[in-house]
Order: sequence, then C-alpha cells, then structure tokens
Amino acid sequence: MIIEISHFLSVLATGLFFLAGSFSLFTKNTLYISNLISRTYSHGFLLLLTSFSIYIWLAISDNFSVQYIASHSNTELPTFYKISSIWSAHEGSMFLWIVFLSLWGFFFNISVKNDQILKSKSIGVISVILVGFLLFLLVTSNPFITILPIAPLNGADINPVLQDPALAIHPPTLYLGYVGFVIPFACAISFLLIGDSNIKWELLVRKWSIAAWAFLTIGITLGSWWAYYELGWGGYWFWDPVENIALMPWLAATAFIHSLSVSIKSSHLRIWTILLSISVFSLSLFGAFIVRSGIIDSVHSFANDPDRGLYLLGFISIIVFTSIYLFIFRLPTIKESKRIKKFSKESFISINNIFFGTLIFSVMLGVTYPLIYEFLFDQKISVGAPFYNAIFIPIVVLASFFLFFSVDSKWSRKINFKFFKTPIFLSLFFSIITVIYISDRFNSNNLAILISIFAGTIIIFRYIYELLDSLLNKKYINPFSVIAHMALGLLLVSISFNSLLSTERAINIKINEYEEYKGLNIYFDDIRVLKNSNNDSIKATFFIEDAKGKQFNLSPEKRRYFTRGQITTETAIHIMPLKDIYMTIGDQLDDGSWIVNIQINYLIRFIWFSAALMAFAGIMLIFSNRRA
Amino acid sequence: MKILLKLIVFIVPTSFIFMFFMLLTNDKSYPGADYTSFKLPSFKLENLENLDTISNDVLEGDFILNVWASWCITCIIEHPYLMSLTKNGIPVVGLNYKDDRDDAIIWLDKYGNPYNLILHDYKGTFALDLGVTGAPETFLINDGKVVAHYQGEVNEIIWQDVFLPVIKEMEMF
Repeated sequence: MIIEISHFLSVLATGLFFLAGSFSLFTKNTLYISNLISRTYSHGFLLLLTSFSIYIWLAISDNFSVQYIASHSNTELPTFYKISSIWSAHEGSMFLWIVFLSLWGFFFNISVKNDQILKSKSIGVISVILVGFLLFLLVTSNPFITILPIAPLNGADINPVLQDPALAIHPPTLYLGYVGFVIPFACAISFLLIGDSNIKWELLVRKWSIAAWAFLTIGITLGSWWAYYELGWGGYWFWDPVENIALMPWLAATAFIHSLSVSIKSSHLRIWTILLSISVFSLSLFGAFIVRSGIIDSVHSFANDPDRGLYLLGFISIIVFTSIYLFIFRLPTIKESKRIKKFSKESFISINNIFFGTLIFSVMLGVTYPLIYEFLFDQKISVGAPFYNAIFIPIVVLASFFLFFSVDSKWSRKINFKFFKTPIFLSLFFSIITVIYISDRFNSNNLAILISIFAGTIIIFRYIYELLDSLLNKKYINPFSVIAHMALGLLLVSISFNSLLSTERAINIKINEYEEYKGLNIYFDDIRVLKNSNNDSIKATFFIEDAKGKQFNLSPEKRRYFTRGQITTETAIHIMPLKDIYMTIGDQLDDGSWIVNIQINYLIRFIWFSAALMAFAGIMLIFSNRRA
Repeated sequence: MKILLKLIVFIVPTSFIFMFFMLLTNDKSYPGADYTSFKLPSFKLENLENLDTISNDVLEGDFILNVWASWCITCIIEHPYLMSLTKNGIPVVGLNYKDDRDDAIIWLDKYGNPYNLILHDYKGTFALDLGVTGAPETFLINDGKVVAHYQGEVNEIIWQDVFLPVIKEMEMF
C-alpha cells in the first residue's frame, strides 16, 4: 500500500517536471512565469524526494512486498546495508541517480535569483532531462513493482562484495559528480537558446562545476580503494571499461574547469568551454548508457535488457543532437576574443585543452575499439594497460612540463621566457638531483618511470618555491591552484614509485612452515573454517616479521555466501607509512599446501591521498569568498 | 575552420550512436551454441554418490545435463549459477567427466552440490556419444531428446539467450 504512494508521488513529480519544462521552453519567460517555473520545479523535487524517502523507509522496515527490495535486501542485514541495498542494482541506483539530478537542480533553483536571465531556461532544461529519465525509470525499470499477494519472508541478499562501507558510499558520491554537471550543461544550453553572446553564463556555473568535479574525484578514488581491498584486485587502477567510463567525464571536467576560468577572466576559449560543458554531461550520460545497457562486460554491469539500452540510447541521442544542433546554429554569434597572447596563462590552458582532448579521445577509443571490433568481426577482444600506458605516460609528462612553465605566466600578458630564472632553475636542479638519487638508490634505469618521477618532482618543487615566496615576500598565490597542482605532482610521483617498487609473488606454504619473501619472514600459523551468519569462511593466520624485527599478523579469508553461493576473497592488509603488505589466500593444493598471494604495494595510500587532496582544493575554493 | 569544427562535432557522436544502435539490435549469436536435436544416446553408468547403475529409463522428463569435472577451472566459475538454477527448481543432472570419484566428491563437499543426480563417466564414453569436447558443456533435454547444447560456461546471459528461448518455445519445466 505504502509503496503505491511512493510510486504515485514519483509519477506526480514527473508531471510537475514536465510542466516546468514546457513553461520554460515554450513560453516567454516573464518574471511571473519564472517564479511559476521555479515553484513548480521545487514542488516536483519535494514530491520526488518524499517518494524516495518512503522507499528508503520501506527498505529499512523490510517491506518485501516490493519486488526490488525483496530481491536485494535481507532481514539479517544491518540498517546501513539495507539502505545501501537500494543502489546495489539497476532499478534502485537509477532512482538514486535521478533523485540526485533533481537535487542539484533544486539547489541551483533556490540559490539563484529568479530574475537571473539564464535561470528559467536552465531549470527547464534540467526538468526535460528529469522527465526523460523518470520515464525511463517508470517504463523500463520500475523499482515499485510489488509481489502480491504473498511476500517472501526473508528476502534474497545484497551482493556480498557490496557489503562494505566504501562501496555503500562510492556510488552515491560518483552519481553526485556525474549528474552535477547537469548545471553547467543546462546553463550552456540556455545560453545557446537565448543566443545573447553578452550573457556571462560561465561565471554562474563556476562553483557548481567545481563542486561536481570534486564529487567525481572523490567517487572515483573511493571506487579505486574499494577494488583494492574488497575485490582483491591488489592495485589502484585496472583500465576496466567502467573505470575508463568514469575517467572520461573526469578528464573532460578537468579541462572544462580550466577552460571555464579562461572564459571568465578574458572571454577567450568560449567555444571550447561550451563544447566541453556539453561533452562532460554527454560523457556522464554515455557512462550511464554503457553500464546499464550491458553492452560491455565488467564488474559494474547490471543485468542487461536490450530495451533499456535502446531507450537510453534514444534519449541520450536526442540530448546530444539537440545540443550539437544548437551549438552549430549559434556558433557564428558566440563572441570570443580571438588572439591569445603567446606564453600567457590563456595560451597554456588552451594547450591543456588539447592535451586533455587527446586523452579523452584515446580512452574513448580504448573503450569502444573492442565494441567496433566485435561489431565488424564478431570476436571479443580487450584493450588493456599497455595501450593506455603508451598514451598516458607521454601526454601526462608533456602536460606536466607545460604546467611547470605555466606557473610563471600571467593572464593576458606575454611573459619573457628566461629559462634560468631562479625558481625554474632551482626546481629543475633539485628534481634532477632527486631523480639521479632515486635511479642510483633503487638501481633503476626504467626511463618511463624516471621521467614520470621527474615530471612530478618539478611540479612539486616549483610550487614549494611559490609557497615559500608567498610566505616570505607576501607574493600573491592562488592557494587552491597550488594545492591541486601539488597534489597532481604527488600523484605522479606516487604512481611512478608504485610501479617501480611494488612486487608480488604467489607462494605455496603449509601450516607451521616458514617462508621468506623480500625480507619478510612469513609463518603460517593456523587455518580454520568459520561459520558466520551469512557465509562460511576459511580464515588463515600468518605471523610476519619484517627485516627490522617488527611483528604483525595477517589473516586473509575466503568466504562463500549462502544465499547466492558466491565466493569472495577478503584481503588482509598491513598498512605502513610507505607501503602496504597485502595478502590473499587461494586454493589448497593436493599436498596440503595453500597458494598465498603476497604483494608489497608502495605509496598506494599516497595515490588516494593526492586524489583526495585535489578534491579538497576544489571544496575549499567553493567555500572561499573568491568570485572566480 | 568553423566548417571543420561543425563536421567534427556532428560526425563523431553520430557514428558512435549508430554503432551502439547496431550493437544493441544485433541478434547475438554464440559460437558455442548448437540447436541440433537428437535422441539421448543409450548409456549405462554408475551414480557417482551411491554406485547404483543408471540407464536411460531412469532419466525422465525435462532436465539440464551439465558436463563437469573437478579438474575443470571454468566449472568452479560456472558453479554458483548452477546452484541458482537448482534453487529455482530446475532439475540439473551432472555428468562427471573423466574424473576420479574421490576428487569429484571432495569438490562437491568444498563447493556444494548443485546436481539432483550425478552420472560418473570415468572413461568418457557417454560423453563421446553426446559429442562432448571438454568441460563444462551443457545440454537441454526434452523427453529423452537433446534440444540445445552449449559449450562453455553457462551464466545468466547464456541462460537468457541460448536456453530460455527454447524452453519457452517447447513449454518445458
């Protein structure tokens, strides 16, 4: 009964969003109409939010007459996972996705005044997108379907790998990032709809875009962390198709917020900025399409249904082609300053746009090439790390050099390039020393890694100089830019060190035996079978002593869940400041020994830390008083 | 220059969308699937668990015949899906293929038994008659006749695309 109320409220919200969209796009937006649109939208949002809250309450109270809840939740689950079970499969996660989309629109709606010229049209664009996705939800993937008259008593279970705090918050954060770009997209579209080139739409969307970018950054980082310790993948990035699909909007968004700042400061690159804002949102939608149409096999795919894919493809095509049509139609009227001075900040950011464009295109190629190949030759192939490494390493290194030299650049002013200016000279000097030391200390002549370390260190040293300069000589710096770019330097250095130093080995070991690996003395103490509430598990205990005589235990586990029969590995990780000792247990061999995989992962926490630092810089900027 | 820009922003998405449309509407054909219908060859094998002799007349009605072995890695991956089939009331008969009885029983103890009945084909003769090339392979049997055959791991997608259409058409189970 209650579920019908929730269902009805969603349908009602769809109707209100439809009204808001039609008012906005098909009437002349007088102030009266603008107020009406704003209120209609807010009411639509409140209805949708109520509907979703009821749905959460139904999940918490184990209402298994709802088919979706019955097949993804369980009475035994803690409340936290009962809630997160909502986004553990297609229908519920789509519902959450839509609620977040409307949430961004709602915040935009209440924080921008009704007389702002772009507002009504933007709210209209958001409403139209909401209507499209709500219809998709209600028609092809309805989460409100009930099992009547007899509801099951216990419910099936949430997928065990999803019973994890990081994963419970990974999808919501990522979704907040993806759909957040609806704000710049909607504003760009309404800018094109109105067609008045004097409107400064860029300024309006600045903070919204950075907020969405920060969420996307955190969401991707959480996903990477989860894959490391819960999926037992043992690394931070695998070029899995769905990781790439999240990376593309991130790259586009990063290029977008840089390009945006240029457009705000000096009206350069406006066409780039519009194109990028359309790309970011289109790529986010593309991600939703890829994951939900089942066109690619990945850990993330939901159960597939071709109708869903076709609906999404159709709707996304409408959005993309309308945007492109508008863009082409208005292209002649967009006024932007044409000449960019050499070696000005604008020139560096326009080069950055080209670098990022190349990266996005390469990832797109990597993701779609197997699809094209399958389509043409009916065979499945996969594109893996070597392809991406070959493209990313040179471009990222090159981009870092440009970033390094751009620190000195000024807005709209040509700077004289003296290569032996103190800061440049000092940072190059220290970086070369560092790289030589590293090469010597770790006995490495892997050029790709050394150059990447060099690229990271010049950025870090350059910005350290900048920080000192600002502390000692009160020179003005942009703290957010400094933090974010230093985080980038740190990211490059930690990724390089990780691939330089990390090692792994599978060992066969029997109970009460010793094994030696990289100065670690491993003693297999015990293995036992445990009966947990919803799984059987094999838990091993190892005593480990490192070269310095420090002792610790590691207990990797293998679980078999009752309800789905799924087998999962629980990794055991010993965290040290600079490295992780990472252990998973495999199968038992005929002679009674066990296969144990042991990895030493260097600086892997620094990778996530630097990604988090970038997001933190973005969040600080939002809460600061700086206008742009 | 602007013409070029216009062309690029139009052509790139169009080609991607066209390709996705073709991929989505493309009828999936699976190289491992075979719909040749033939009568189940006659056999006399031991029940893996209690050594009773089993021949054609014991196996009646509709069922799934799954070829597996304890040495087969893919069978471990396939295993949870077979469990879910059994749980949903679909009779699954196992054909333990070229496998040691003790190994097979240890395997079943370790992972769980999804089979209603297991035939032990140590020499692989019955499998040869069926046209089995390796493990895992899965046959759909309708009243003593093989109506569908799949070489490789059966999962939700294969079940939906390869077996379910036949099951619906013949109104089985």
